[in-house]
Amino acid sequence: MSLRKLLLGAIAAIGLTATAALAEPKTVTLWHIYNFESDMIHYGIKAFNESQSEYRIEPRLVPYTNINPELIKAIATGTPPDLTVINDPVVASFSSQGQLTDLTDRIAKSKIINLDVYYKGPLASSQWKGRRYSVAREVNALALYYNADMFRAKGLDPDKPPKTWSEVVAAAEKLRDPAKGVYGIGFCAHSSEQAVFQWLPFLWQAGGSIDKLDQPEATQALQLWVDLVQKGLASRDVINQQQREVTSTFIAGGSAMAVGGPWELPNLQKDAKFDWRVAVLPVKDDKNIKASSLGGFHFAIPKGAKEVDGAFKVIEFMSNATLFNEGWKAGLLAPRSDIELKDPQWPQAYGVFHEQIKTAIQRGPHPQWPDLSRPIQIAIQEALTGTKPANVALQEAAKKIQPILAKTPL
Amino acid sequence: MARTRSPLLYVFLAVPVAYLLAFIGFPIVFNVTMSFQEVTIGNLAMFFRPFVGLDNYREVIADPTFRKVLINSLIFVFANVVGQISIGLCVALFFAENFAGAHYLRGLLLSAWMLPGLVVGALWKWMYATDYGVANYVLAKLRIVNGPVHWLSDPAMGLTAVNIAHIWYIMPFSMILIAAGLTTIPQEQYEAAALDGAGAVRRFRHVTLPALSPTLLAVACLVTIYSMRAFDMIVSLTHGGPLDSTNVLPLLSYQFSFEQFQFGVGAAIGTFAFILVIVVALVYVRTLNKEVSL
Repeated sequence: MSLRKLLLGAIAAIGLTATAALAEPKTVTLWHIYNFESDMIHYGIKAFNESQSEYRIEPRLVPYTNINPELIKAIATGTPPDLTVINDPVVASFSSQGQLTDLTDRIAKSKIINLDVYYKGPLASSQWKGRRYSVAREVNALALYYNADMFRAKGLDPDKPPKTWSEVVAAAEKLRDPAKGVYGIGFCAHSSEQAVFQWLPFLWQAGGSIDKLDQPEATQALQLWVDLVQKGLASRDVINQQQREVTSTFIAGGSAMAVGGPWELPNLQKDAKFDWRVAVLPVKDDKNIKASSLGGFHFAIPKGAKEVDGAFKVIEFMSNATLFNEGWKAGLLAPRSDIELKDPQWPQAYGVFHEQIKTAIQRGPHPQWPDLSRPIQIAIQEALTGTKPANVALQEAAKKIQPILAKTPL
Repeated sequence: MARTRSPLLYVFLAVPVAYLLAFIGFPIVFNVTMSFQEVTIGNLAMFFRPFVGLDNYREVIADPTFRKVLINSLIFVFANVVGQISIGLCVALFFAENFAGAHYLRGLLLSAWMLPGLVVGALWKWMYATDYGVANYVLAKLRIVNGPVHWLSDPAMGLTAVNIAHIWYIMPFSMILIAAGLTTIPQEQYEAAALDGAGAVRRFRHVTLPALSPTLLAVACLVTIYSMRAFDMIVSLTHGGPLDSTNVLPLLSYQFSFEQFQFGVGAAIGTFAFILVIVVALVYVRTLNKEVSL
């Protein structure tokens, strides 16, 4: 009820301002998920509102886990915001159903947004059937955090983090310390999209892909995780830990290495009382394929938005290099390849993530990405709990995924 | 037919009926309608969507996950009814002893029930952690278990863990209802039974239990309804995992609708949950009527 009231209130507010004096700025409602004060969106909103008097952004902070349900509810009641941020793998779910405004022509005419300098991954996520429905706001990729103090204590060189799968396993064996409750490595196999996000890098490093989950490459990738858990190098609780909990465990000294994204950097800065560093994800020894998962949020204008022109102006405003440079303060990278920070905070981590982003691959785009993701989540959990062998679990996932891909290929 | 009915009575009748139709009837009809349609993000805002008959129901019934989750829900409800009534009854009897501070402590116990479900889930997730959780620490110190218990990462253990947490969470509420029921039993009956030579056990069996049975039935119905809609605590505790071993109908319905974007299937699962709850609600209303007629 309160949401509906709020939305009705927002509409009333828009209506009122429209009928009021012409000098009154037009409202652009913006939904976002950034509760870090250091996130560039807050600075951007303030700067936009001060820079001109035609439009005024009215932001609403929606919790990260609620943004999709809230958007769906708004679409169902015909009261979407003028502008929203949207997670990259679900852009296609919304755009293929005609729920996002086609931005192709506006972008082509824009003097500010030049798609040539954007990374390929976010560009792929933002388009569906040749049309473009969103503009990337930031990108992130997974890399390997490690505790350099523990490396030293166990006789490992913290300047030479593991580079291959076998080196990761070997390091995890040395770093593991059951007496102190320390695991070698942590990763996220939570029963949600997060598990898929974390496992896909290993699938790609093995030379596999999600349309070939019944192939040995996929099995090898999953078997790596199974071995880590079964040998006690990673906690069995990884199947019930969200990504932030994996990092919390690392910060608390419960694991010596952890797969994680740059958005964790402010937390590490605040809470990790040891020498922590980041390394690019390892490669599979015989394959040498560098890969990581690409994540990040895009700006999109829902269908039925009242103030499309104003919303697009906000997107343009938020897409300038100065603002993108601010993103790193919250651990987010610019979606453009032409931007490199001169003197970044966390220089070591910046170097690694900036390198890692070049090998990061987007999920999909596919309008049914959630339907592809769920069988993979199940396979990961079946294998890690020992319910089924990795190859059997993946074959069953392949059987569910292949008909969907046969209808709509990736 | 002695008195003529004032037209005002119809107004008083119309208000609650209109309220029920608008806020309960409409959502139910809307949900059932959706369960017979193919609902996508694209046609969500429309009322007329492609009619697919029983396809959503067929898909739900054919899905092994649904069967697993339905059984989970039934086990979850059963365990909660048994657990909450037995523990709640014991605790209520304990506090009925009227020792110093009994009232205060009983009220304090209710504070668990006042916590938001998300907080309770986060709290228990912490306590259940395999390596640093307090549950395993205590069990190991007491030498009850040899190795650590994988409370939330073993599909065979998950539902038990969630049951314990939920019983802990809602039990104080059951306890208060039972305690209220206890106060209505006339003290004279106990005195008479004691004069007849009945010991504590026989007094409980022949005085307390019969007098309390309508209350217990009502509590059982309420606990069933509360357990059928357990959602937020499970979301933060396990999100239904591992392998849907702790998933329940409302959460599965939510996942289909808002994570898989299959709204029709989500609605069909919602209908199943609704039917289960309405049956229990009818039983509850009937027991209330009986209580009044007693």
